[in-house]
Amino acid sequence: MSQGRRHKPKNLLMILMLTPYLLLLFFFGILPLIMAIFNVPSKSPSNPNGGWHVFNIVLHDFRLLPAAEHVLGFMAIFVPLMIVFVIVMSLMLDTDAAPWKKWIRLAYIVPACVSGSVAVLLWYVLLEPTLSPFKAVMHWMGIKQASQIWQTSNLTFILAFMAFFALAGQWILIQFGSLQSISTEILEAARVDGCTPFQLALRIKLPLIRKYVIYMGVLVFAGGLQIFVEPQLLNTSVYAGIANQWSFDQLSYSLAFQNGNFGEASALSLMLLVPSLIGALLVIYKTDMFEDVAVKSPKKLEKEARKREAAKA
Amino acid sequence: MSIDFEKQEVIPSLQPKKRKRKIRFGHYAVNTWLIFWAGISIIPMLWLILAPSKTNRNLSYQNPLGFGNFTGYWHAWKNLQDFNSGVLARWAFNSLTYNVAIVLIASLTASLAGFVISASRIRFKKAFLISTLIMMLVPPVALVIPLFIEMNKANLVDNPWSVILISSLYPFGAFLSYIYYSNTIPPEIYESARLDGCSDIRLYTKIAFPLSYPLLALLAFFAFVGNWGNYFMPYIMLPSPEHYTLPVGLGALFFSTPAINPGVGATSVPIQKPEIALAGILIAVPVMIVFLISQKRLIRGMLSGSIKE
Repeated sequence: MSQGRRHKPKNLLMILMLTPYLLLLFFFGILPLIMAIFNVPSKSPSNPNGGWHVFNIVLHDFRLLPAAEHVLGFMAIFVPLMIVFVIVMSLMLDTDAAPWKKWIRLAYIVPACVSGSVAVLLWYVLLEPTLSPFKAVMHWMGIKQASQIWQTSNLTFILAFMAFFALAGQWILIQFGSLQSISTEILEAARVDGCTPFQLALRIKLPLIRKYVIYMGVLVFAGGLQIFVEPQLLNTSVYAGIANQWSFDQLSYSLAFQNGNFGEASALSLMLLVPSLIGALLVIYKTDMFEDVAVKSPKKLEKEARKREAAKA
Repeated sequence: MSIDFEKQEVIPSLQPKKRKRKIRFGHYAVNTWLIFWAGISIIPMLWLILAPSKTNRNLSYQNPLGFGNFTGYWHAWKNLQDFNSGVLARWAFNSLTYNVAIVLIASLTASLAGFVISASRIRFKKAFLISTLIMMLVPPVALVIPLFIEMNKANLVDNPWSVILISSLYPFGAFLSYIYYSNTIPPEIYESARLDGCSDIRLYTKIAFPLSYPLLALLAFFAFVGNWGNYFMPYIMLPSPEHYTLPVGLGALFFSTPAINPGVGATSVPIQKPEIALAGILIAVPVMIVFLISQKRLIRGMLSGSIKE
């Protein structure tokens, strides 16, 4: 960047161009949080005098513990399964650059097109022994009726697989993309040294894509915590009552909409936001994902660039 | 990170032939598994696309991945059209208009923001980038209840603009644009244009915008893919059926017809599984087309900022 000339008065136009985005960011990113915080101590049937102990009321809500059990059980299956499977699959895809793998990658993206209500429809079909494309497997396993599968106690597994199936493909491709960023010189050197493809994947590639794995882990974790659409739709529109206030978000939803209790709903939403925020900050400050582009100050970057040029000279 | 390979000794393998055979066998196993998973990945979508070709009865008796008859699509389409005096067309129209508005507003505001942050010397750049990154990494669902409370206060519930404006906040797009502009347009270009008397707005309209068609396509793709199938936000913000989008409408079809809801008794409504599947196709296939066309670019976009080319 050239130094000297400053364009102070002209900055006005720049700020004007930034304003639309800033307004959206303020009204739909920051203001709802501020309003939620102010809503917490408002008066409600469960908190007739108002006050901040509403957090305590939510924590002692008899529906919270079952929701926690469901969601944490769901995450305990979904998150590790996703991470391990995605890493293994992307490393497998990366063993060689055969042209036919292009088609494989296209196939992997297909489940990502199915979300929300369509995903519920497809899983209804997949797990219905009379309709399923996998009915032979189901008959072999002794499943003759959907009611053998669709029970609240099985929901943790079903929802974990639904989420896994919807998201695995796109993350395989993303991690495959991150593997492409490894310099060919490193890989070539390792091969010359007699590395087998397996060792190459485990000892060289995996450590080099660590930050992307953390990035995925955080996003997958934060998303899993907020599971809502699938259990809600199953509960209201397919198998009535199967997932009543099953997840945290469903509980928060029913507090707001059925009980009209915005104080408790806000308190629960804010509590759920904390792990997501911690995850976001972890990715931003504890990995070097965004270090060069956002975290370091411009001055520091300029200094580094100068150092590099000096080293070159 | 650099690994010093030169210092390592080359270890001659003792039985090169045996080892090679083992590796080749491993290759076959790996490739077979990769192909198997590809099959698993597309089977549900194949079922969905083929389902309306069959009659409701044949869905259970024919091969699940077999093809019925082209007239099946036509029948299912007509039955869907007749449902509640054509409300499906209304939902499709809503989905289309909301999404066009979202894609336009989101892409434009995000690209402007990215441009300003990369080309100007305004203050609080870092605060802006960090807050954008936080918004990008926190799942949007986390804010739905607070957003509802806000919209409720503002009397915007059941007004489509609530969904359009909320979904137009596009932190990922702003970040992507910032990366794109800082990597593709060197600051010297702006400097010299400024010397020639170019105003900041013209810097964007005459230089940055025309140079960023690939970026704008990417922004539009991502905004579309992220919002077309969105269920939670319109479900909560737009309770009246005339404002439903296709995904919310599909949920309503589940609820009010016996197609997949065993709780609904026999009715004369001719909405059965083939009709429901056709409605599902209307939602899933547009996203699939965008994905298949732009798969590579979308993936590269997801990783932008962290991978140097």
